[in-house]
Amino acid sequence: MSSPVSEKPVVHVVDDDDSLRKAVTRLLCAAGYDVRCYSSAGDFALADRDNRRGCVLLDVRMPGPSGLDLQEALAREDEPLPVIFLTAHGDVPTSVRAMKAGAVDFLTKPIKRDVLLSAVRNALARDLRLHTSHEQRRDLRMRFAKLTPREREVFELVVAGRLNKQIAAELGVAERTVKAHRGQVMAKMQATSLAELVHLADKMQYSIL
Amino acid sequence: MSRQASDFFWSGTRSQQSASTHIAVNSKAIRAGILVFIGYYLGARVGFALTFQPRPISVFWPPNSVLLAALLLSPPRIWWFLLLAAFPAHLIAELQLQVPPSMVVCWFVSNCSEAIIGAGLTRYLLRGPVRFDTLRSVAVFCMCAAFLGPFVSSFVDAGFVAMNGWGEGSYWQNWRMRFFSNVLTALTLTPSIVTWCNFKPTQWRRISSSRALEGSILFLGLVIASTVILYNARTNPDPVLFYVPLPFLLWAVFRFGARATSAAILIVTFLAIWSSAHGHGPFTNQSAETNARSMQMFLIIMAVPIMLLAAGIQERRKAEERFAEAFRSSPDPMSIIRQRDGIFIDVNDHWVEMFGYERKEAIGRTVRDLNLCLSEGGHVQQMIGLRQSEPIRDLECAVRAKAGGVRQVSLSADVVEMGNEPSFVVTIRDITDRKLAEEANRDLAHASRIALLGELTASIAHEINQPLGAILSNADAAELLLESESPPLDEVRKILADIRNDDLRASEIIRHIRLLTRKHVMQMESLDVNEVAGEVVRLMEAEARRRNVPLGTKFAAAPARIFGDRVHLQQVLMNLILNGMEAMADTPEVERRLFVRTVTNGQQRVEISVTDSGSGISPEKYPRLFDSFFTTKENGMGLGLAIARSIIDAHHGKISAENNSTGGATFRFDLPVDPVAAR
Repeated sequence: MSSPVSEKPVVHVVDDDDSLRKAVTRLLCAAGYDVRCYSSAGDFALADRDNRRGCVLLDVRMPGPSGLDLQEALAREDEPLPVIFLTAHGDVPTSVRAMKAGAVDFLTKPIKRDVLLSAVRNALARDLRLHTSHEQRRDLRMRFAKLTPREREVFELVVAGRLNKQIAAELGVAERTVKAHRGQVMAKMQATSLAELVHLADKMQYSIL
Repeated sequence: MSRQASDFFWSGTRSQQSASTHIAVNSKAIRAGILVFIGYYLGARVGFALTFQPRPISVFWPPNSVLLAALLLSPPRIWWFLLLAAFPAHLIAELQLQVPPSMVVCWFVSNCSEAIIGAGLTRYLLRGPVRFDTLRSVAVFCMCAAFLGPFVSSFVDAGFVAMNGWGEGSYWQNWRMRFFSNVLTALTLTPSIVTWCNFKPTQWRRISSSRALEGSILFLGLVIASTVILYNARTNPDPVLFYVPLPFLLWAVFRFGARATSAAILIVTFLAIWSSAHGHGPFTNQSAETNARSMQMFLIIMAVPIMLLAAGIQERRKAEERFAEAFRSSPDPMSIIRQRDGIFIDVNDHWVEMFGYERKEAIGRTVRDLNLCLSEGGHVQQMIGLRQSEPIRDLECAVRAKAGGVRQVSLSADVVEMGNEPSFVVTIRDITDRKLAEEANRDLAHASRIALLGELTASIAHEINQPLGAILSNADAAELLLESESPPLDEVRKILADIRNDDLRASEIIRHIRLLTRKHVMQMESLDVNEVAGEVVRLMEAEARRRNVPLGTKFAAAPARIFGDRVHLQQVLMNLILNGMEAMADTPEVERRLFVRTVTNGQQRVEISVTDSGSGISPEKYPRLFDSFFTTKENGMGLGLAIARSIIDAHHGKISAENNSTGGATFRFDLPVDPVAAR
């Protein structure tokens, strides 16, 4: 399921203006990125992205579905790629709407090289970061899934800061049994200390809830 | 005879065309008849008195000329009456000489034929009565009345004489005698009668005393000189003496005109004949017949050129008077400038009024002296310097009055001969007000165009930033590529080509916008309608995309050319397209349609229309649609359509609007096809 993080990210360029699309693609290629380009939002939506990570450079105004429409569609995906908007004429309402919808940046043409490259860099870093935390969460969830129902109960109570004695009383079992469960939990969750377990729980809680 | 000619021919000298037409003879005709009777009789008496002795050779025969003059002065309608009135006079005069009645009647017939031929032909060719004030009228009179009439009728006359066995001379002798005497009389007496009959008594009052004195001196001098020369000269005089009357005749010609000249000729003629008839003067040394002939020849040869000269001079003087009158009374400021040195010869009152210089101040000075022309008016001075002879029409320039005020004028100039000097007659029309109105209109159109473009800012910025963005990114890419160890030069070359293309694309858009934002003077030129409309559609495409309006075109297959101002016409079309898009703001996107069409209407007109599928025009707004400051938009000025109409009006076109049956509205304007290009 998950893609190897080591694979090189792809920068997608979606713009209806042929010459601008070509120029931006050239620049990004020269800067060392893998670039794929599309002349409309529809082309991008239909293309096979091979699950590779990356980001999208998106023109706001295009014939057919606009850049904003495409952003909306992307956001519904499981792990949305970060979007950088490109516009020839930045009007305030459009940029506000784009940023609210989670765009990384809103760039006005003509775009300076450093601005473009740093925006792309930021977007890719963010994508990587998001992807990593996403992977971690998935990993934790998988560890958690291995716990038995009783072990989960113990886990919740341990994380809540109860002592073994208190847990035993609450669950109506022997303190020794609790200790054994606790050992299993620590092992399955790959935690070496209580503090780490609490930290993992925190992370997981965040994601589960 | 053309109809017009016959109208003239049959019309009378004076007001005979009035109510009296149905009564052939009215009181005026009766008076004319009585005058003819008296004139004919007296003329006959004079004719008899002026015969050369010992043989009764008539050198001067006034009755025929009286009759000729009467017919020349009267409409042919009453000729029969005048001839009838002359008959008793003829009878009385001739029968006193014991001429046989048959001969008397025959002579009357030949006399009448002479008058009818002469007067008829003259009136026909001149299309009316003869006035002796133009070269043509005198020439026609001399040819027809003075020569052809006597020439033809003398054959008849000599024939009658031979038939009746009257007199002693041969047929040709009689013919010659009659021909010369009648030519002389017709040339000298008839013009006098005709010109003096046309003289209205009221004209006496207009003659100043100095002029009357000059006239008196002239005629006194003429009579004395002629008498001295023609009566008292020896039998074989110095030929120079023949010329003595000439100065007086020329005096009459140059100072008094045709009327006085004919009178002067008549005096000389009368004195010459009278002297000779009484055995005095230069024409007395040979036989009576030879004397008569040489004197007749002398008088005829003198009379014809003098009369032509008088008519020519009078004609020219009249033309000059008419010109002077037009010059003085012209509602436009006028001046006459001598071409040689550019000095003012004359200026009229309106000129004085306009420039503030007195006539005396202007005359004798040049345009440069008076500093009339502003710098751009330099070509006026140039034109004078170049001695060009082409007339100048509607040259627009600025002039400065004495007080310093500057006026815009339209100047026209013709080159005319003024006293043998080529001169410019310059007419000036003050077009300052028109210019100001034009300028105001231009400013308004310009302001509205700027406002129009303001509405398009978003699309324009988009259109320009797109190629600029491509250029920048391409340049950056090229730079990065060149930094690598083995730069891909082919790729860099491609990039440079793309940069060039994008640069051209951007500058083309900017050029077009600049054209529309520039304040500009109307520049009429031949334009391809489809090209004009196509440029606007391309410019508006981005805006249409921004507003989500599909913009369609349907252009006439055959290219049509019009004569107009590109920027103004594009402004109108932009306005209509923008209005159409605005009218569709509340229309669901799927129903939005905007169509720009060009259609040729026959050979004469081209129509450009903009159809939208918007809300249409509400009926109560319809009548005021093209009025200034009428608007349905919240922040509109209400000038767009008003200016559009004034622009289309200036192109001799029509602009109109109507609702479509399927919803929305169509705005259309039609323009005349450029006639030059259509050829």
